[in-house]
Amino acid sequence: MSANTSTEIMLKDIGMVYKTNDNRDVTALTGVSIDIQKGEFVSLVGPSGCGKTTLLRIIADLLTPTSGEISIAGETPRQARLKRRYGIVFQSAVLYEWRTVKKNIMMPLEIMHVPVKEREERAMKMLELVGLSEFANHYPNQLSGGMQQRVGIARALAVQPEILLMDEPFSALDEFTREKLHADLLKIWRKTNKTIVFVTHNIQESVFLSDKICVLSPHPGRLSAVVDIDLPRPRTMEMKNTVEFTNLVAKVRNSFEGV
Amino acid sequence: MNKLKRLTETKYFMTVLWIVIIIALWEIFAFIVAATKRTPENILPHLTGIMESVMSDRTINGGQTAIQMVMENAAATLSRAGIGYVVGIVCGFVLALLMSLWKPIEKIAFPYLMLIQMIPILGMAPIINALTGDIAVSRVAIAAILTFYPVATNTLAGFKAVQREKHELMYSYAANKFQIYTKTMIPACIPYFFTGLKISAPMAITASILVDTLQGGIGLGCLLSQALKGAMTRYVFWQIVFFSAIIGILSFSVMGLLEYILCPYKRTSKKEKE
Repeated sequence: MSANTSTEIMLKDIGMVYKTNDNRDVTALTGVSIDIQKGEFVSLVGPSGCGKTTLLRIIADLLTPTSGEISIAGETPRQARLKRRYGIVFQSAVLYEWRTVKKNIMMPLEIMHVPVKEREERAMKMLELVGLSEFANHYPNQLSGGMQQRVGIARALAVQPEILLMDEPFSALDEFTREKLHADLLKIWRKTNKTIVFVTHNIQESVFLSDKICVLSPHPGRLSAVVDIDLPRPRTMEMKNTVEFTNLVAKVRNSFEGV
Repeated sequence: MNKLKRLTETKYFMTVLWIVIIIALWEIFAFIVAATKRTPENILPHLTGIMESVMSDRTINGGQTAIQMVMENAAATLSRAGIGYVVGIVCGFVLALLMSLWKPIEKIAFPYLMLIQMIPILGMAPIINALTGDIAVSRVAIAAILTFYPVATNTLAGFKAVQREKHELMYSYAANKFQIYTKTMIPACIPYFFTGLKISAPMAITASILVDTLQGGIGLGCLLSQALKGAMTRYVFWQIVFFSAIIGILSFSVMGLLEYILCPYKRTSKKEKE
């Protein structure tokens, strides 16, 4: 799948120390080094408090690490952000409720001053990609949770980023919707060749989707294992019933320390 | 039985029921007052009496009928309330924007804004009058001051209620401050802004009428105090009472209607099935 071997995201010895209100130091992350290849689907998996979201936010330039080095396609996170090298999807869809679905997707393009005509075309193309073309003129509150999240993905992809950052995007959805969105996301990934960094606490989900799983353990947040998922692509629902799948899930689960 | 149950659940049924109850109670008391008091129209006239006085073409005071007088004075009061309302909205919105843009302004202004709300209008009016030196201007100013507070606080609350993730998205798009406000903050706070508008619309009208009573000239409040003092038929007073009540309710509804028109996304909440 990802034969391309150039490194897209390089994290070296990342550490993050917070100061609490009563002036104590809390170590959220320590010594995390991860290389993510171009076009790779990588999951950051761990229980709450392991710093997986912190790590994603560091990549997104929403947080600055207190130690370590990070480069995104050879640039700093700030440069990467200003060049819109990544799109981000949160746990909730975070749609602009006063805008229609299409206009939601056009929002980042307006900020980038993309010409009106191209904005429209790109929005419609993205809607087609996530299978919501007929809902272009609906308002977000007319859509179900799963559809809203798909609009969120379409909007993140509309800026044509190289990287898609996803912070527990499906954790608020029911099991059936989640499985459908897994299949959709893999299809979109295959079509667009993005590098995806996917944060989740769901081991099954991470095994099903990823090329590589970075297992993070808490107190302090650290990388305790990297598990390569060599299940063939394209992934199908039936694979979840295979011994290989179950073994990989067990392998990931056994990699956690101190939970 | 079922039909009756469904009827009571409709929105309009309750409104109509309330109106009927109020009219019935009014009329019962009007009959009691008419039977026991010497000048019933000073206390509680029949509704029909008020209607009659509205329709009547009998002139009072220099060739105008009662309703013409009320309308002329109402126009003066309402236009003052209207100007004050608009001025108050603009000032309230701008202050909320400034408080949201620069935290120090919020720290300085916000705690003391409430003071404005605590001073009684009738206490504030002479001060404003002395400052402006003109009763008409101070009437506008008071309507503006009363409008200002609910608009400013509600709009600020709206700015603060914007989800953190919406800010983060804007940050990830590398949006500048102007874009953040025009594309996220201001549209997001519109429902809150309208809450402020709905609260302050009847307040601006009430304040205008009340401040009218302080000095003479043209205005509903002036006419009201004259009618109360017996300078003309007491029915003028009753007409003003009803007219201002209707205008107050109407001003609130107009703001609601405006919100309905400007925020189409709030109407549609039926969910599509996945």
